[in-house]
Amino acid sequence: MLLEVRDLHVEFRTRDGVAKAVNGVDYGVDAGETLAVLGESGSGKSVTAQAVMGILDMPPGRITGGEILFQGRDLLRLKEEERRKVRGAEMAMIFQDALSSLNPVLTVGDQLGEMFVVHRGMSRKDARAKAVELMDRVRIPAAKERVRQYPHQFSGGMRQRIMIAMALALEPALIIADEPTTALDVTVQAQVMELLAELRREYRMGLILITHDLGVVADVADKIAVMYAGRIVESAPVHDIYKAPAHPYTRGLLDSIPRLDQKGRQLYAIKGLPPNLMDIPPGCAFHPRCPLAQDVCRTDVPPLYEVTDSDADRGSACHFWRECLHG
Amino acid sequence: MGRYVVRRLLQMIPVFIGSTLLIFLMVNVMGDPIAGLCGDRQCDPATAAQLRKEFGLDKPVWQQYLTYMGNVFTGDFGTAFNGQEVTELMSTAFPVTIRLTIVAILLQIIIGITLGVVTGLRRGRPVDTGVLLVTLVVISVPTFVTGLLLQLLLGVEWGWIRPSVSSAAPFDELIVPGLVLASVSLAYVTRLTRTSIAENRRSDYVRTAIAKGLPRHRVVTRHLLRNSLIPVVTFIGADIGFLMGGAIVTERIFNIHGVGYQLYQGILRQNTQTVVGFVTVLVLVFLLCNLVVDLLYAVLDPRIRYA
Repeated sequence: MLLEVRDLHVEFRTRDGVAKAVNGVDYGVDAGETLAVLGESGSGKSVTAQAVMGILDMPPGRITGGEILFQGRDLLRLKEEERRKVRGAEMAMIFQDALSSLNPVLTVGDQLGEMFVVHRGMSRKDARAKAVELMDRVRIPAAKERVRQYPHQFSGGMRQRIMIAMALALEPALIIADEPTTALDVTVQAQVMELLAELRREYRMGLILITHDLGVVADVADKIAVMYAGRIVESAPVHDIYKAPAHPYTRGLLDSIPRLDQKGRQLYAIKGLPPNLMDIPPGCAFHPRCPLAQDVCRTDVPPLYEVTDSDADRGSACHFWRECLHG
Repeated sequence: MGRYVVRRLLQMIPVFIGSTLLIFLMVNVMGDPIAGLCGDRQCDPATAAQLRKEFGLDKPVWQQYLTYMGNVFTGDFGTAFNGQEVTELMSTAFPVTIRLTIVAILLQIIIGITLGVVTGLRRGRPVDTGVLLVTLVVISVPTFVTGLLLQLLLGVEWGWIRPSVSSAAPFDELIVPGLVLASVSLAYVTRLTRTSIAENRRSDYVRTAIAKGLPRHRVVTRHLLRNSLIPVVTFIGADIGFLMGGAIVTERIFNIHGVGYQLYQGILRQNTQTVVGFVTVLVLVFLLCNLVVDLLYAVLDPRIRYA
């Protein structure tokens, strides 16, 4: 396994109390594999990714338990200087909003070239040439001229291509893309997503795709992990989950997708609100919003049950996964 | 960029005319300059009339202004009543004040920005609270108090410095006066830098820089500082004009014969030519500083340059 997150716990200490953002997450990605992490805002999907990258704001954030094994090493045990050398070079991250994620006062060439200057000790001139090469790779037209331009002189789609180029620069083994297309126009979204998928195949990288867009997931992901209140509530190969979800929350998400064949009907929405992370409900965190909830759900936290009715490697954190799967 | 500079230079003309005219009028209402010449006694009317005619004071104000401005543009700032050329006064006063301003600005940059970065990165820690408290005290206490206190302690009690600066006013004697002159601005620079750093530290592009695996010092200097210093540079630039003209108190305390000292003397003696002359030059300095700041802004922030 390229990356394995085991029983990760992250909390944020704020003035109002302790927010438990990640409560025992396990997931793994192989080389060349794409894992989609799905969930509402506040489900802990971004926080988990930031903990993996080592860019969590600490304080207020704190990793209170777990392991992050990357190529066999536990990243949480590395010294900061060793950890820094992993960042950018062996694993890289693509952020949601490319405009604010790129430095407004440096040219894109400087920002791309910086990777080679810092990690590879290249001269500025060679790094500049590498930057042009990268911009060509992500199909930015007139790369040679545009390498001297600033982020605000690019369109949204082009800026996100630069982010992708920056992540690819040192050909890392793993890329984490945190909602890479959310800030883009719908027409551009598909192009950027395709480019990302294509480059991932070419370089045989592992990809963690964090998203709340189920449409994106179906096309590019190999497997899915659904998060709720800082836990994985369902994990499965992508096609199995679309065919028959084994967790009522996943079912709710799938039912919320607007469909062309149901024109005129009211859109489905999961009732209630995501839980307050400072006061997560006892038992199954989803029980106040769950249509299948029984008494046991209010008291016992469901473990990630193995879904035995399926050939695939599936898990569901629901006491009634069988009912959900067949119901 | 070139057109922008030209436009800004053209805009300076009406500002320059307006402000100098205002000064000219104000000095005129200040009182009869001839009366001041004769000391406490009443002037002899015949002599007064002759002097008036000699200095052109019998003509209407607007005509006086035009004559004056005409002379200024040929480099003639007139003669003070004691017979000294105003330009001569300037050539001794300005170098001293410029040296003092350089010291003050350097202190602002070195101490202010360093403290701002340190506290901005450690917001809420004891260092931050301590520095913040000190800046608050510095801002609240008037310059003449800090000045006199430092003069008394460092100069008189402990004898570390000369309590009054010699007429040559070399750089080393100007360090403490420069610190006094800079003190309030220094506190503002510290606070401005601190806020700016603390704000930008949480920004997405800093997060990106960290995610790229850059060493911490590179994240801070190349990414965080470059962006955070934009408002600070603007403030320091605009402050140069203030410091040049606002050194009256500091120059009085440490007996520095600079611009502030000459202005003070000029006002005290109702020496119209000196006051108007010095203020005219200060107006020019101020306008140029503002222009430089605006251009610097465009250099530092490409979003403005290419807008």
